[in-house]
Amino acid sequence: MSLDYVKFSTGFEKFMPKEYRDMVEHGPFGKKVTVSQMGSFKEILEEHPMCAGCAMTLFIRLAIISFPNPEDTITVGTAGCGRLAISQAAIPFVYGNYGDQNGVASGLARGLRLRFGDKPKDVVVMVGDGGMADIGFSGTLHSWFRKEKFTTIMLDNEVYGNTGGQESGMTNRGAVLKMAPLGKKFEKMDMVGMAKIAGCAYVATVVPNNPRRVESVIKKAVLIAREVGPTYIQAYTSCNIEYAIPTDKVMEDAKTVEDDRYKFAEYITDDAKQYLSERYGYKEFLPKPATAAAIPQA
Amino acid sequence: MYLVADISVEICAATSCRLCTQFCPEANTILYNNDAGKEKGLKYGSAYVAVDRCKGCAQCVWVCDNMAKHHAIKMIMIDQLPKAALTDNVTYGEKTTTVQLASPVIG
Repeated sequence: MSLDYVKFSTGFEKFMPKEYRDMVEHGPFGKKVTVSQMGSFKEILEEHPMCAGCAMTLFIRLAIISFPNPEDTITVGTAGCGRLAISQAAIPFVYGNYGDQNGVASGLARGLRLRFGDKPKDVVVMVGDGGMADIGFSGTLHSWFRKEKFTTIMLDNEVYGNTGGQESGMTNRGAVLKMAPLGKKFEKMDMVGMAKIAGCAYVATVVPNNPRRVESVIKKAVLIAREVGPTYIQAYTSCNIEYAIPTDKVMEDAKTVEDDRYKFAEYITDDAKQYLSERYGYKEFLPKPATAAAIPQA
Repeated sequence: MYLVADISVEICAATSCRLCTQFCPEANTILYNNDAGKEKGLKYGSAYVAVDRCKGCAQCVWVCDNMAKHHAIKMIMIDQLPKAALTDNVTYGEKTTTVQLASPVIG
C-alpha cells in the first residue's frame, strides 16, 4: 500500500523474473500514465486466463490504467469471470465470498481511513452483474445507503458467463441463453436508478469502445469516493462466448449496444462537482459565471 | 498452428494512431516502438505484437480496419512469421519500447 512495496529486496534483484523487473523499473507506480501512452509502459495487469477477445478484460485493463494512484489502491472482487483478470494485477486484490464484496469493501475502506487518516487509499469493487445485482444485491444497496466511501464497478455482461449461461437480473427481457432456453421473463434491473435513489454521489454508464471516456469516468469515480460518497459505474462488457459474438466483432457489438440501450450517461451531485473543481481542478465543473442574458433589459 | 496478429510497419509508421494499443484485451501485447519507422525513413514509430501473448481474437484487426481505416493489421499463422517480437526480448525505455525480433517458433 505504498511505493515501498514496489521495489526489490536487497540482493534479490538479479533473481527476479523479467516481468517483475519491468514492473519495478518501468511500471506506472508513482507516475501519471494515460490510456494514450498504452503500449509504452509496463502495465499493472499481467497475463490472465480470460477468453480471447473478452470485452470485460479490455474494460479491466483500461480501468486499472485509469486508477489515479495505483500504488494506493486495493481492488475487491468476488466469484465470476472478472476476478480471473483482476487478481493477475500487481495491486492488492481481496476476494469476497460470493456477494459480500461491498461489505468487505466497507470494512476495508473504514479501516484504511482509521489507519492512514488523510492520506487517500482507494478501494475499488469490480464485480460482475450476478455477483452484484443478484447475489450481492442487499450488501451493495446497503453499502450505498450507509454512504460508504468507495467505488463500485459493475462488469455487466448480462449473463452468468462463468457457469455456462444462466440468466441474471441484468439480462434483457426475452434473451434466450444456454441455461435459460425459454427466454427471460422480466425486465433488466435498473441498477443505475437504484444507485441514484440510494445516494451515490456519482453514477455513470459506459462502454469500453471509448478508452478515453472509460479513463475519465474511472478517475472521477475514484476521486469522488475519497471524500464525498459512494460512486457507481456500470460498464457493458459483452460475453462473446454466451452471446456468440465473433471475437473480431466484439467492438462492433459494443457500438451497437451503446447506440441502442447503453448510451453514455453521467450523474453527479453538486457536492461532487464542487469537490472535483476545487480539489482537483476539473474546469468543466466550475460554477458558471452569470451571463449578460440574466440582466433584465431596460 | 494458430493465428496471431501481424502489424505492417510501413503502413503503421506512416500514420501512428496507436488505437490498437488501446483496444487489445491483453496487457502489454501490442506495444509501441517510437523508432521503428525512422530506420525506413517514415515519419512515426510503429506498433508491434508480442506474439507469445497474442490470443488471436483479431479485435485489433477490426479496430484498424473500421475505426482507424488503415488496414495495417492482418492475422497470420505463427509459423509463417519468419521473425516476431517475444515478451522476453522487449526492453522498456522512456515512453517507448524496443524489441529484438527473433523466430517465434522453436525447433
